[in-house]
Amino acid sequence: MTADSTTTTTTINTTTHTNTNTTTTVTDDRLSLEFFRHTPICTIILDASLVIRQVSDSFLDIAGLGSPTDALGLHFDDFVDRVAALPTLVSARKPLRNAQETLRPSELKHLDVPDGSAWNIRIVPILRHASLRYLQMELTDVTTEHQRQLDLEERLYTNETFRILVETVKDYAIFMLDPNGNIATWNAGAQRFKGYKKEEIIGKHFSNFYSQEDRDIDKPGRELADALRDGRVEDEGWRYRKDGSKFWANVIITPVYRGQTLLGFSKVTRDLTERRSAEVKLIEAYEEASKLKSEFLANMSHEIRTPMHGMLSALTLLLDTPLNPEQRELAHVIEESGEILLHVINDILDYSKLASGCFSISTDIINVSEILQTIHRAQEKCRKPGIDLQTYIDPKLPKAAEGDSLRYRQIVQNLMSNAMKFTEEGYVHVHAKLHEEDDEYYTILTEVVDTGIGIPSEVSGSLFTPFMQFDNSATKRYKGTGLGLSICKSLSELMGGHIGFYDNPEGHGSVFWFTAKMKKVQHVKDIDDLHEELEQLTLRTSTSPFEDVKHAAVGKKILLAEDNPINQKVMLKMLTSLGFRDIDVALDGRDAVALSIRNPPPYHVILMDINMPLLDGVGATKEIRNAGVQTPIIAMTANALKGQAELYLAKGMNGYVPKPVDRNLLVKILLSWLNSNAPSPTQLRATPSPPPVPLPSEAAPSNSPLPLAPLPSEAAPPNPPLPPAPSEPAPSQPTPSGPVPSEPSPSELAHSEPAG
Amino acid sequence: MEVPGAEDRIDQATFEQILEMDDSVDDRDFSKSIVYDFFTQADSTFDKMDSSLDAKDLKTLSELGHFLKGSSATLGLTKVQHSCEKIQHYGHKKDEAGSADITEEEALEKLKSEIAQVKKEFGDVQKVLKKFYKDES
Repeated sequence: MTADSTTTTTTINTTTHTNTNTTTTVTDDRLSLEFFRHTPICTIILDASLVIRQVSDSFLDIAGLGSPTDALGLHFDDFVDRVAALPTLVSARKPLRNAQETLRPSELKHLDVPDGSAWNIRIVPILRHASLRYLQMELTDVTTEHQRQLDLEERLYTNETFRILVETVKDYAIFMLDPNGNIATWNAGAQRFKGYKKEEIIGKHFSNFYSQEDRDIDKPGRELADALRDGRVEDEGWRYRKDGSKFWANVIITPVYRGQTLLGFSKVTRDLTERRSAEVKLIEAYEEASKLKSEFLANMSHEIRTPMHGMLSALTLLLDTPLNPEQRELAHVIEESGEILLHVINDILDYSKLASGCFSISTDIINVSEILQTIHRAQEKCRKPGIDLQTYIDPKLPKAAEGDSLRYRQIVQNLMSNAMKFTEEGYVHVHAKLHEEDDEYYTILTEVVDTGIGIPSEVSGSLFTPFMQFDNSATKRYKGTGLGLSICKSLSELMGGHIGFYDNPEGHGSVFWFTAKMKKVQHVKDIDDLHEELEQLTLRTSTSPFEDVKHAAVGKKILLAEDNPINQKVMLKMLTSLGFRDIDVALDGRDAVALSIRNPPPYHVILMDINMPLLDGVGATKEIRNAGVQTPIIAMTANALKGQAELYLAKGMNGYVPKPVDRNLLVKILLSWLNSNAPSPTQLRATPSPPPVPLPSEAAPSNSPLPLAPLPSEAAPPNPPLPPAPSEPAPSQPTPSGPVPSEPSPSELAHSEPAG
Repeated sequence: MEVPGAEDRIDQATFEQILEMDDSVDDRDFSKSIVYDFFTQADSTFDKMDSSLDAKDLKTLSELGHFLKGSSATLGLTKVQHSCEKIQHYGHKKDEAGSADITEEEALEKLKSEIAQVKKEFGDVQKVLKKFYKDES
């Protein structure tokens, strides 16, 4: 560099001498040159014709030039084109010409260059004898300063925006408090809510907005302290206006700091008076509506179902009397219509309960295979000739799981009735498989396969929508409310499952499937014991339920938990007349628990009053179940609404009889718990097994060639024998007239659900 | 088996069920004993209701209402049963349908008149039943 500098110096010396003809000494020249070369301000000297005559080292640096020779002697315009590192020079042309013409200093400030830098350019014309000799150009890098300026403008803009926003907001009172809680700013919303003008309130303490009681307990002070401690405090309560009226407010107080210094608090207040009154109105309206709804439901059940049952019973009696063929046919029409009507009413009741979300799924201990068998037997009765009805049960289905038998049954029954309704020939097959199993739950997949009319693709999307029926033609061939499938959907979802359908892969018809989750049972052994006991019973085909119950009562022990001596006496008499000889009485729930939880469980059935002293029926049931005793418990309740009874079922009870106890109903329920869920061995033998059909099953391990057991052979001893291999000689086809329990199961009673 | 004069005071089907428990139609030992037990139970319950009303013991009143509701329902004594149900609700500080809340004062007021009412209902049905059992002393 030193060598370079020397050369440059020499050149300039020469130039100066030749061009200016001055008489200045070399020493002076050297000094001014030195001074010029080393000035930190980037400087270029041009002569009047804009040829570069001198550059400072600082300029060389920023222009990225090695030596002054890269610049000296070049015309400014040519030079500019060469120096790519300094794009700002291009903009210097204009002030340069300006200075050249006006002979006045020209300046360009905060010149933005696309590369993000900013420059100040100053041109000073140097005159001698009023004529232009040189032009001195200075460049200053102001990028940092420029950036700061921009930030500042931005911040000013933001602050201003916020200030305007806050001041003009009318729906919120937004203002600042100083650290002592005195009001420092005020906005339009604050003026509107609180009624104070800015000049009236600034400097006053914010406790003016609080009630006297709040001030007495220093609520404002505590709020500030809380805000300081927690960083924010939110409160809802009454605040007062200037005129003394009050409004329901939501208040948020936040402390505001600059660095470590507390500047004060921001306070945002919303007037919630309208919202609050709307909420109150809404809640009132909701309560009213829900009350009306439950009243309506209760009335529905009472006012329609009761006379319907009466009508149908009378009809049954009428049909037993001698009628001529025409009368008989008319009577059958009435019977059929009545049953459809009853079904419709039940559907609508179920649907409104599902829709209002007050539908509960109970958790009894259930045996899915047995439920399917019962449904199978019931459907067998109304099977059209020419339809093959089969139920295939995965042997791996749990014998006991916690689920809602009533609801599971309802779905299967509904899907099966649909399948039967829409199938004229071919088959209706039910497959139940263990779909998944984890530590806590079984997932059971149930499929109903038919060869019926199938589902047209255009309605498949709305099949599970309430009140949708794809057969909406004027000559409606198939009856129903169109609620069935949507109820099934809600029910399966309540049971943690899904529902769906697809076309029958074997041709026409459809496959409806659903899954249901059932909790694993902790006390399986007890259940098995119970089942063994139950299986020892023989179901006799007798003429009346009273005969049945008298048979079933033999050797059975019953606990009656009832505190009212009169009811006790009546119940005892009733049970005795039904053939029960071994009846214990508990006077309260505590007593009932103590009597029941002995080992082995002493009772076959427990009849439990709900309201009892010391411990009520629900509590007693809970304790009995917690002790691992799974004896069927039948609630006796005077609470008329069905929903309440279902609540008891959900609490671990197995059935219920409304009070006053109707003997016929009691008989049916007792029978179902003493008998029907355990088919007898003789009965099993009486029904020939259909040939087993091997089925591809997701649940069955692929290396097992065992077919799923068709229904009758699976009719459930606790340790079922392996289903017969397909090679075994096939017994005759299933007979439609297999023994069917002569009484409906509790679910039918609770629900009076005619098939179809 | 009609009970003369029962009208809407007695639910025929329910009472019939009790009558069917009698071993002999002539003496009607069982049903008569139940009915007369009920008379006793009702009288003693009314006494307890009166003293609980004086003591403003709403909880006990509700329990007493429930208690007598149970036995009157079993016999099918509908009107007594319904009054008892109201007493049960009022005792819970609920209105007569058991849905809306009422104040303690309202509850006591309503209880006072309902207890009078239930006694009247009971008296009426007692007469009918005594006549039925041919005991008009």
